[in-house]
Amino acid sequence: MAERLGALRWVAEFGTPRIYVDRSAWVETLGRARDEEGLAFFSWLSGIDWAKDAAVGDGVADPDALTERFEVICRLSSVVSGDAMHFLAEVPKDDPVIDSIVSVFAGAAWHERECHEMFGIDFRGHPYLAKLYLPDGFEGHPLRKSYPLLSREVKPWPGTVDVEDKPSLENPEVGGTS
Amino acid sequence: MTELMHRSEVAVSVELQTPDMTLNIGPQHPSTHGVLRLVAKVDGEKITEVEPVIGYMHRGYEKLAEVRTYAQMTALVNRIDWVSGFASEVPFIVAVERLTGIEAPERAQWIRLILTELFRISSHLVFMSSYPLELGATTPLMWALRERERVLDLIESVTGGRFHPNFNRVGGVKPAAGGGSQTKKISQDLPAGFFDQTRAAMEKVLHVCDELDELVTGNELIKARTVGIGIIPADKAIEFGLSGPNLRASGVDFDLRKVEPILPYDQVDFDVVTAQGGDCYDRYVCRLEEIREAAKIVLQAIEKIPAGPLQAKVPRILKVPEGQVYVRHENPKGEFGYYIVSEGSRMPYRLKIRSTSFSNLSILPWLLEGQLLPDLVAIMGSLDFVLGDVDR
Repeated sequence: MAERLGALRWVAEFGTPRIYVDRSAWVETLGRARDEEGLAFFSWLSGIDWAKDAAVGDGVADPDALTERFEVICRLSSVVSGDAMHFLAEVPKDDPVIDSIVSVFAGAAWHERECHEMFGIDFRGHPYLAKLYLPDGFEGHPLRKSYPLLSREVKPWPGTVDVEDKPSLENPEVGGTS
Repeated sequence: MTELMHRSEVAVSVELQTPDMTLNIGPQHPSTHGVLRLVAKVDGEKITEVEPVIGYMHRGYEKLAEVRTYAQMTALVNRIDWVSGFASEVPFIVAVERLTGIEAPERAQWIRLILTELFRISSHLVFMSSYPLELGATTPLMWALRERERVLDLIESVTGGRFHPNFNRVGGVKPAAGGGSQTKKISQDLPAGFFDQTRAAMEKVLHVCDELDELVTGNELIKARTVGIGIIPADKAIEFGLSGPNLRASGVDFDLRKVEPILPYDQVDFDVVTAQGGDCYDRYVCRLEEIREAAKIVLQAIEKIPAGPLQAKVPRILKVPEGQVYVRHENPKGEFGYYIVSEGSRMPYRLKIRSTSFSNLSILPWLLEGQLLPDLVAIMGSLDFVLGDVDR
């Protein structure tokens, strides 16, 4: 099925294939997946920020081998067979634009608005790409790895002070019951 | 005098003007189940356009997940949809288990199944109380919530919490707290007498379903407000990603408990409830029947639950191997899933939460267009959303 849909490459993991397509073929591929493969159920659309440095949390396993990029990911499934696929398209960080799929799946409108405000990816052809969750004047894109978690900047995580020492890789036997 | 007469005649002869009016509904409105604002353009009583404004409760769980270990996240994920907290814990934990290759013992899986169904009953009983209330009937609220209280007592006796159980652990469930709120002691299993109390509670739940049938299902006033109102055709429901009873009321026979069970649902006998009309009334009827089916599942499960341990062996520091997995489950409101991108550390690199109500609510602008303003609350309520689930 991946070849039929014109995939650049694909990975099967835990039963659901991840299909990587070129962003110029994004709308066409998803449309064909719906019409020809029966994946008509629009489940969700979101993004992943692949970055060498993370302002918060743990970064990627191998930063040196990583190409910095965004990935837009969309899951389609079938309500007849239960089959599903994840479609991914790479979006370069210096040109974060991809075509909107609202013309194919009307339900994608809110998901694309969320992805737009959280990652700063533009969805070309979206009828109303306004902020969804965030207030109008909000600056920055919170789900980018470069965006710090402001509450942690103001007040560090009290976990170790509060209750007990957290187990760490250096000191695995400390604290906790399980 | 003659001039006045003349004016009034002019006023009558001119056709009545009905300019478009913008009506702001919410964010504080009892029927919005939280804080939802609707900006509606109305032409007389007819809605021409509506724009839901959400995000008042946005807590940024997807970002918070990136600075928390997997064990810490279970305390947060049950707060997404607080009416059925346990049901949103399960797919997250199962996703982590898939990535790590840990399998929960059978007894733990059955306990998860029983609690998921108890939360389904609880969630649907909230709908059974709030929806008639929104339509103007106050009695069902008391009756449904009375029986829901029994279900919450059961849940509390096992998990120690009524809304936020935080009961799942990677590789099993937490050793249960016994004795309810009065005596907090730790036992290693389900509290004594749990099965008998469950049987008694299920009897009451099934009884209140019959009462609701007499009180609400056949009620002409309810029918007048809901039959043929807010019809969602199956193809639109699929395109917008509606799931759960909202999808099944449109005639789509799709239930993840049958299609992709992550708990031992294949060992219990139950029916998938569907309806054909796709209107508000059908969505109500589907949920009422689902309570009966859920009670049926619980009664079978307490007979079939095997003995055994509650926890698999899990390393003290859980490092999740690299990989990407999506696990979904039939939440009371529909498909609830988590997409985890793991880069081999103790915390997820990216966690995408597919919350049910977000997709279910996104059809609202399409659905309300051209409807009458008095039907707005009836249509909105029939979608059974929780704003915490919409905003995440």
